[in-house]
Amino acid sequence: MAELFWLMAGGAALIWVLVLGTAFYATRVRPRPHGEHVGRMLILGGGVAFPLVVLTSLLIYGLALMPELRAPGDGLKIRVSGEQWWWRVAYYRPGSDAPVHAANELRLPLGQRVELELDSPDVIHSLWIPPLAGKVDMIPGRTTRLVLEPTRTGTFRGVCAEFCGASHALMAFMVEVMEPEAFAAWLESEAAPARPAKDALARQGADLFLELGCGACHTVRGTEARGPVGPDLTHVGSRLSLAAGIMPNEPDAFARWIAEAEEIKPGSRMPSFNMLPARELDALAAWLESLQ
Amino acid sequence: MRIGIKELVLILAALAAGGLLFAWSGIFNIAASSGHWAITKWFLHYTMHQSVETHAMGIETPPLDDIAMVQRGAGHYATGCAPCHGAPGTERSPVALEMTPHPPTLVPHIEVFEPRELFWIVKNGVKYTGMPAWAGHERDDEVWSVVAFLLRLDELDEAGYRELAHGEAARRGEPLDGPVLAALGGAPPEPLAGCARCHGRDGNGRGTGAFPRLSGQSEAYLLASLLAYARETRNSGIMTPAVSGIGEGELARLAAHYARQAPPDTGSGPAPDEELVEQGRRIARDGVPVDGVPACLSCHGERRRPVYPALAGQHADYLAGQLRLFRDGGRGGTPFAHLMETVARRLDDGQIEAVSAFLASLPPEHATP
Repeated sequence: MAELFWLMAGGAALIWVLVLGTAFYATRVRPRPHGEHVGRMLILGGGVAFPLVVLTSLLIYGLALMPELRAPGDGLKIRVSGEQWWWRVAYYRPGSDAPVHAANELRLPLGQRVELELDSPDVIHSLWIPPLAGKVDMIPGRTTRLVLEPTRTGTFRGVCAEFCGASHALMAFMVEVMEPEAFAAWLESEAAPARPAKDALARQGADLFLELGCGACHTVRGTEARGPVGPDLTHVGSRLSLAAGIMPNEPDAFARWIAEAEEIKPGSRMPSFNMLPARELDALAAWLESLQ
Repeated sequence: MRIGIKELVLILAALAAGGLLFAWSGIFNIAASSGHWAITKWFLHYTMHQSVETHAMGIETPPLDDIAMVQRGAGHYATGCAPCHGAPGTERSPVALEMTPHPPTLVPHIEVFEPRELFWIVKNGVKYTGMPAWAGHERDDEVWSVVAFLLRLDELDEAGYRELAHGEAARRGEPLDGPVLAALGGAPPEPLAGCARCHGRDGNGRGTGAFPRLSGQSEAYLLASLLAYARETRNSGIMTPAVSGIGEGELARLAAHYARQAPPDTGSGPAPDEELVEQGRRIARDGVPVDGVPACLSCHGERRRPVYPALAGQHADYLAGQLRLFRDGGRGGTPFAHLMETVARRLDDGQIEAVSAFLASLPPEHATP
């Protein structure tokens, strides 16, 4: 793609010089009328033949690059579903049918072509990671594609780039490009079920999570919580952000999000649990934070 | 003499001044004991009838022949209406008879009004008469229950009325208030008598979906619900008056009483429609993920917070009614009630009916202490 850009930039500069040069010639060098024949040749040659040739060759060159865009990835496929107002993510490893469920974050291996399949169950969203690629709409009832080949490691921020309702501006996510080995190790641990809570507070949080019915909407693999409505929380403690890229991943933020979800993200399906006493919120936060 | 605009203004001003002077003088006798002149009475009634007729236009009448509605209406009538309007075998209170206008016995008047007009009167009350508006906000379903009962009132003799309004106590021929209820263990006699009229002393209701089954519910849920009615965070023109004036200590004892009662062994209601139950089973077990509806049993299953109600074996009509109230925003409830609002908003009428039928078909759980 970079080639196309440089070719276009170079060509545009050339034509700019040519046009200005002609203007300079016509006003300063020889500011007198030309014969009819010369005029006609200029119009036909410079106004019809030249653009026709240039634009046609550019079109052919550009179209020839297209199959590369659609070329399949190197094996890893990620389905991303934009939902009001978060991202459902599932990694499909090559040769494996069982997806690894995650949410609100993308992890990509460096130097590999990764295919993203995008859709939405509710309204049109648009996935945009400005440093990595252009935006691609996520359209209900249709699957759109985006192939990414990240060329350097780092953490980037992505957003929803299509107005999708009250909390559109609060629908973001983090993208982490990792060395292939680190990515493989991460995916391995992401695929594993949640580790049992270690300390007493987190254990109490785990019990509360089920007793309160959080598992009606959220899945934490390895527990009885199997709800498919909201984000999978199996490893929520290891994510780079909370509540779809809008809060830091810290115990206090967890407690605040649980208590005030409806206020923090207006219109979201997650109800506020502000009726819970602070110690229960702390226990839930401790348990979720421990889900590394 | 010609009356011009100037004269007209003067006359009106004089009349207004005369009126004010009359009011200021205190000559008018405001005493209820003085009654109304016949012409005043006629004029007030005429105005009332016209107003009711006009305001009730466009109200749609739901089906009113369900016995559960009649029972619910009767239960409330006995405490909420009978003291002023009387009932078969019950005279109007002598205190009410000293009001101006007298609250009428209802039978001869009911047929004068359309059901929608009765609904409007019960819901809104009548100014300057002492007839109050309905105490529960957004509970038109309760008001219609009263209308359903009123439409049956003329067919009822004393025994029929007592059976409807007092349930088991009337059936056993017990006197309807006082010492009968002393045998009820720790629970305070009078408040429990009030509960038992509709819910039964065993909390199993009246065999119809008129009243929710209380047996098998946890003490925490029952108490939280009673407090919600008392504090009007749960809307009901029937339950809020019923619990008002009962102290929190007594409410706690009532909750404890009903939490001790054993539910019947089988689900409620008539043989359910298999297909409907199956559809409901899927919703209750798996939710409707495409619509963002979580599975009912993830919160209401066996491992639940005590303040969440048990739903297994509850009456289908009651469950469906509550889901519709949650959906339409008129329910309220314990501090956890808003969790249900967000879920119920994603259910349509068919899904509500299906899931209620399934839950009703389950054998009731026994409350864990």
